[in-house]
Amino acid sequence: MTSDAMTHDSAREALEALAIDALDAWERDAVMSHVEQCPACRAELAVLRITASELAYGVRPAPMASAQRDRIRARLMSRAGADVAAAEPTTVPQYQILVPHPAQVETKTFARNWMTSTSSWIAMAAAIIAVASVTSLIQVSSERDTIAAAYQLATTDRATGSTLVDSLRSIIDDRDQMIANLTGPKTAVVSLASSNAPSPKGHMFWDQSSNQWIFVGHNLPRPKPGRVYQLWLVTASQKISGGVFMPQSNGDAMVKMRYALPNDALMSVAVTDEPAEGSPQPTTTPYIAGARTATR
Amino acid sequence: MNPQANRPPYSKSSGVILVPGERSAADDATLLRRMGDGDEHALGTFYDRWHPLVHAIVQRIVRLAGDVDDVVEEAFWQAWRQAERYDASRGSVQTWLLTIARSRALDRVRTVRRQREEPLEGDAENDVLQLASDSDPAVDAEAAERRRVVLAALATLPSEQRQALELGYYAGLSQSEIAERTAQPLGTVKTRMRLGMQKLRDHLQSIREDGR
Repeated sequence: MTSDAMTHDSAREALEALAIDALDAWERDAVMSHVEQCPACRAELAVLRITASELAYGVRPAPMASAQRDRIRARLMSRAGADVAAAEPTTVPQYQILVPHPAQVETKTFARNWMTSTSSWIAMAAAIIAVASVTSLIQVSSERDTIAAAYQLATTDRATGSTLVDSLRSIIDDRDQMIANLTGPKTAVVSLASSNAPSPKGHMFWDQSSNQWIFVGHNLPRPKPGRVYQLWLVTASQKISGGVFMPQSNGDAMVKMRYALPNDALMSVAVTDEPAEGSPQPTTTPYIAGARTATR
Repeated sequence: MNPQANRPPYSKSSGVILVPGERSAADDATLLRRMGDGDEHALGTFYDRWHPLVHAIVQRIVRLAGDVDDVVEEAFWQAWRQAERYDASRGSVQTWLLTIARSRALDRVRTVRRQREEPLEGDAENDVLQLASDSDPAVDAEAAERRRVVLAALATLPSEQRQALELGYYAGLSQSEIAERTAQPLGTVKTRMRLGMQKLRDHLQSIREDGR
């Protein structure tokens, strides 16, 4: 069955299952294709999704053990502190990676029904950059050194709060790991691009030895209210969510993730526009995409 | 991501609050605004307030202890990153947060399932919701009231319809996977899920109207 074959009645009967994400991928794509064209189904789906969201309250409350609760809280606070510190340009330069070889993607690859088959993702082939940009490494290393200098100042300044010191230490560790991921002997780099203005592009660095992924995007406009970007790893049989993200005001974005994938499984990487909570499967055509064509 | 960059002014609409909870809703809106402004202490307060609910839904879906911790953290991290984009007209803060938590939990479950290429497993009997309405003083009163309402609505459903919703919503199974697990025809599962959702919607609406 394809999206073209989905009638209104068939789609309507599937809305309840769609509202709780219980449709198989092919059926979900077909129903969504109809919903996008049908105001009545869109309205009904909105109501059903509200109903579905209420089910979350049916779970018996489960307070965490104090150690578990505190451990998660500490990690969150550390990450948030680092996030805030990274937003202060006078203290910590923002991470920006420069890649001098933007990939090329043909406009025709953005087929309207691309969601229905993995092959159409792969057909969006861009180029692969076999070697991580030296410029990128220099920039990250320079930032790392700047942050390290700020860290030294902070640790000797008695007025500096421990939160900032911890945040700087966390960022330095993060940059060290990033350098290792960018320069590893088993790091593959996939380039993503599109014909959309203003020439958005991105690169996915995949350190296969540690299963660490770093996506860096540029020229990404802010999504509409209630929408976010979502990253996808595409294999022959799956589209695996790499998480949702928002670009900075300058259009830059970075997503880091850890995911174990067989070395030969990745076929392409894509970024789509999705609802704020993310989607179990992509619901729009990729904003940028690129295919893996070789490994280092 | 820069949490302080390009922050739009926070706008609070009339909101969709299904049961009394104005004080809590206002507090949550304030916390989200502060989180959107890059105030990590607001995140700490937000976490302290809602971790029992988030932990409950994540634990219900993921079940593996180590994974539960990671998913709970990622749910709150996503809330931190997207606090500025919360739209009160689309639902309460709790519902927004729980939707995020469920999405991240299902991502984890489905990823693990794919990696292991596991056949569907589990005891369907254990997936039936516990309908006894217990109380927990640590949980926000509004959430407790919403739980009471949802359980009352679910209790009116035939068990097979409730099970279909349960396996779809909490286990993240597709209808064909539910059919396989329960050894029922796919058409039967589709019908049960459709009828169950329709009844649930009607019951929730009726309960809300009675409470006004």
